[in-house]
Amino acid sequence: MNPPDTLAALELHGLTRRYPGVLALDGVDLTLQRGEVHALAGENGAGKSSLIKILCGADRADGGQMRLFGEPYAPHSPLDAMRAGIRVVHQELHMLDELSVAENLQFEQLPRTRWGLLDRKAMDLRARELLALVGLDDLAPATRVAGLGMAQRQLIEIAKALSSQSRIVIMDEPTATLTPRETDRLLQIIRQLRDGGVTVVFVSHHLQELFEVCDRVTVLRNGRKVATQPMAGTSTDDLVRLMVGRDLAERPPRKAAAPDLQGAPALRVQGLRFRGQRGHAGLDFSLHYGEIVGLAGLVGSGRTETVRAIFGADRPAAGQVFRDERPVPIGGPKDALAEGICLVTENRKDEGLILDMPIRANISLASLGAVSHSGLMRADAEGDASHRMVSKLQIRLASIQQPVRELSGGNQQKVVLGKWLLREPKVLLLDEPTRGVDVGAKAEIHALLERMAADGLAVLVVSSDLRELMSLCDRMLVMSRGVLAGEVARAQFDEEAILALAYQEYTRGTPRARAA
Amino acid sequence: MNPTPSAATQEAPAAPAAAPASLRQKSKAALREAGIGVALVCLVAVFALLSPIFLTPGNITNIFTQISINVILAVGMTFVILIGGIDLSVGSVMAFCAVVAGTVLKLEGLDTGLAISLALLASIAVGALCGLANGAVSAYWGIPSFIVTLGMLNIARGAALQWTQARSIYEFPDAFNNFGSATLLGAPAIFLVALALVALGWFVLNRTVFGRLVYAIGNNEEAVRLAGHNVMAYKIAAFVICGAAVGVGAVIYMTRLTIASPISGIGFELNAIAAVIIGGTSLSGGRGSIVGTLLGACIIGVLANGLILIGMSDFLRQMVTGFVIILAVVLDVYRARLTRGAA
Repeated sequence: MNPPDTLAALELHGLTRRYPGVLALDGVDLTLQRGEVHALAGENGAGKSSLIKILCGADRADGGQMRLFGEPYAPHSPLDAMRAGIRVVHQELHMLDELSVAENLQFEQLPRTRWGLLDRKAMDLRARELLALVGLDDLAPATRVAGLGMAQRQLIEIAKALSSQSRIVIMDEPTATLTPRETDRLLQIIRQLRDGGVTVVFVSHHLQELFEVCDRVTVLRNGRKVATQPMAGTSTDDLVRLMVGRDLAERPPRKAAAPDLQGAPALRVQGLRFRGQRGHAGLDFSLHYGEIVGLAGLVGSGRTETVRAIFGADRPAAGQVFRDERPVPIGGPKDALAEGICLVTENRKDEGLILDMPIRANISLASLGAVSHSGLMRADAEGDASHRMVSKLQIRLASIQQPVRELSGGNQQKVVLGKWLLREPKVLLLDEPTRGVDVGAKAEIHALLERMAADGLAVLVVSSDLRELMSLCDRMLVMSRGVLAGEVARAQFDEEAILALAYQEYTRGTPRARAA
Repeated sequence: MNPTPSAATQEAPAAPAAAPASLRQKSKAALREAGIGVALVCLVAVFALLSPIFLTPGNITNIFTQISINVILAVGMTFVILIGGIDLSVGSVMAFCAVVAGTVLKLEGLDTGLAISLALLASIAVGALCGLANGAVSAYWGIPSFIVTLGMLNIARGAALQWTQARSIYEFPDAFNNFGSATLLGAPAIFLVALALVALGWFVLNRTVFGRLVYAIGNNEEAVRLAGHNVMAYKIAAFVICGAAVGVGAVIYMTRLTIASPISGIGFELNAIAAVIIGGTSLSGGRGSIVGTLLGACIIGVLANGLILIGMSDFLRQMVTGFVIILAVVLDVYRARLTRGAA
């Protein structure tokens, strides 16, 4: 399978990256050839982003080597990578809003006159050339970037990657914001690049694009390389199977819960639309007492937006939330909390915790009324409540006076849970509750959720870890590109089927199988 | 591929061995204040050596009298800086409060005691209203308080000048004027007022739900909002408190000067901010204390007084104060880096 060395643009040997509690990359070997378009595929968290970060110098590997055109390659910064000819078109756009298109295109190496001043003529000329390359002939180079739409920005970002002498261009979800016509144009550009001898690494949720433009595909799973194979001869089904890994589908048994499906649902949403949602269909689903429901889907499919809208963290664009079949207006977190709805947000450091304040203050933050008397804090009540949560959740700490920052990720997450459990919620929404949490604490959090569900709590869990949802949930809702693609009962849990639902809206028009 | 559960999660009993760690935490917070206190003591020692007059009772009373206004303003400023804001309008608002209070004092036919009470209330009300405007505009529209209070700095100054047609108000009742130089048990009465406000500020910040939320908002506004609190209201309240403190400061200042001048208080906001910063409160909010602020105001006062006594020129004194402010912030950043690194 390995091509002769003369063809190799970039070789990776045993690339490893370890984060606290997670092995993001586990000895990945990969060879990129000159002038090929190479697809990088894998589920959320498979290691694609970690790999790209290391390639572009934003992060460093803990182990393994890289060779770029035969030379050892170990970038210490994005600038090193750029100088070596590796460019990344990022998913999140990094643009200088107040500057012109031309300046954004060339700000790393602005042309100068012999007096050292900015050579506007040369800059405009070069900008026009680059814009023409991505089909933005009509855009004046002097236009301010702030006024442009996402698609135009994305194309400018791509043009920027073409502006320097790039030998390897990495495109991380470049088509997410593009219309079909713009996407076609981009795929055309990619082919031109390839024909010019540039190596392109292409990442996209839209599998049909991979089939259209890529020569070979490498699939990552759990930080390991599963396969590298020619795109021709691979079918969508093959690809999905490789990404999921059928051999790992062990399903730890969970005691059969007895959700109260007869009574009124604890939570029902009707026609819910969050801001920026694609399409016109709202979301409809319900959640019963004693039930753990998973919300599956790809990153960016609208799972986070959905739970945030229910909680009122962001105001929904439309829709109605019902508690016990009573319509409840949710204008903000305060209203949701009054209805017994709590949300463990995705980002505990920025939204869940006050890192520099003591554990006790974090636990009591959402229940200050219960630990105070006419506006005065009752230190004893607060201490008692904190200790109660600490022992209920088995938080490992030295003292409740400790700043939360000093705790491990798993114990920090337990503090977030403690903050909400102190309120005795009826409906608990959790967004990636075990991300960055070590396996021990993860198991404890799962056990806790199961215990509380058995006691009647209604639980909705968002997770990118499908296996986690499969072992934890009674039922799964699958979102795909802002749409509820389907609902799967526990008896029918099957990774391939769920992933197929998750990709449903992204793979429209793809042939299900290709001729080998 | 699964890493073994980290050792830290395995050991350590859930039931906390609270005492030592809790002591460590307390001492950590106290350490910052102690550090500022040590700096103050060193300053005092140096000036005591250099000047025979410095430690005389008369001079000490003098220093306390001089710093009183700044302490009062800095207590209010501490609330605003703790929530991550800043109030640049303090000096101008103080002048506006003063001229309104002065006008009330001069009302005909009022009993002296009543007039003084009304003047104080009017001053606090004007200050609080200016704070309300500052807070509401910056919190509601999300405009940095730096900008809003810069606007208020001009508005309040203009209002004070317009109100009085740029003339000072004077000839207040003797009972009022005497308060500025009165002493109680040997201490200047106005310094006791300042200390009372320090005690009140300490109590609010350390013992009330409101104080807890002030710190929390300064640290992580979003987490507080998601915990169901009305962040905007608390932010506005911090500005109102700052304004009310200015109102008290304005009246106290009038008792010292025995006039109400529309051009008084220029630059007072900067002294108050300096006291808060030297006192160890972080400009980005969420960290600091009222006791630190008091110590910070003392350091500024001792410097100003001591440098005069050793015969340093006005201009050099100003430079020294500037260096001290920068030094305090550099030390704070350095200390923050140390503790972050250790965690």
